[in-house]
Amino acid sequence: MKKMKLFAGILAFGSLWGFSECIIGSTLRDAGLPAGSIMTGLFAIILMTMSRMFYKQRGMQLGMGLVAGALRLFNPFGGCFICSAIAILAEGAIFELIWYGLSLDLKELNTITMKSSIGILTAYVIYVGGYIITQILTPIISSAGFYLENLIVFLPQIFASGLLAAILGGITVTATLQLREIDITIKDRLYYPATIGISIFCWLIVIANTLIILSS
Amino acid sequence: MSVIREIDIMGKKKIIPISALIVLLIGSLSSAYVYTSTVDTEFITINGNEYTIDQLFFIGEEKTINSNSELFTGIALDSLIIKTGVVNPEDHDYKIIASDGYQKTVKWENIKNGVLTREGTSIFSDLPKAYRVKNIIHIEVI
Repeated sequence: MKKMKLFAGILAFGSLWGFSECIIGSTLRDAGLPAGSIMTGLFAIILMTMSRMFYKQRGMQLGMGLVAGALRLFNPFGGCFICSAIAILAEGAIFELIWYGLSLDLKELNTITMKSSIGILTAYVIYVGGYIITQILTPIISSAGFYLENLIVFLPQIFASGLLAAILGGITVTATLQLREIDITIKDRLYYPATIGISIFCWLIVIANTLIILSS
Repeated sequence: MSVIREIDIMGKKKIIPISALIVLLIGSLSSAYVYTSTVDTEFITINGNEYTIDQLFFIGEEKTINSNSELFTGIALDSLIIKTGVVNPEDHDYKIIASDGYQKTVKWENIKNGVLTREGTSIFSDLPKAYRVKNIIHIEVI
């Protein structure tokens, strides 16, 4: 029963993450905003922190990355979508690595300094990690081929662009961890319809968006 | 056991803020580096010679390509490479370098599917958006 609950949570949070990457991310990109930093520093980090806080389970964020990455595959726009899907999965894995050393009750994150620090560190590392993975995979999958030199000279820009994600992450993780004070309990009869409903909604919107773009 | 946990927590209370400061420092220094190293020039160097975008549009052949469901018009990169005097162009790779240091290396097969827009951006019909190098200052023949 507990596993089912966790699985439903992974599906709902992962679908929300994938939905935000496909729909909100594309809108931000079209508006000329730094979509990658905003998506990581706001949406990805909030969803992963919330899920770790409420479910107190290691490995869940990797599962969320898998679901979000799979959803990204259903939205084949905006460059190398396979690379984006793998980068999302990698972000989930990097989050797991950074938060592995923290206790499940997050007891050590009891001050503003600790909350903002873990937010800055996590957002920066997952953003930079995901970006580097995309820069390696995109040339490999395309016909041009991968050249290490191109990545090395671009590293300062990747490191620089992670600064916005880090600042956003510091703010959002601090704010999200404040929710620990609120006691949220959802009854089983509401939990499953809510999580499954959210997941179905996210997948339907992304698939419908893809079909609309393809038919126009 | 709880004593070990307290010591562990004390360690994290130092490591996590210090690591956060380090990443902020890396991000800030990299931003400063990118800002200072950006080259401001109106010339594009191809095969060792400098050209303005107007000169390139004069010597090159214009064409329109479809990339990621968008149409782009510019000078055909293959005609540009040939007309700027590259011998045996199919035997080379081409490093396209932007004013901020961003660079992508492409093959002759890709060059044949690419254009250089009036804004100085490379667009390829057979490559992802990552290959749209903006504010090109150099096309190096390698």
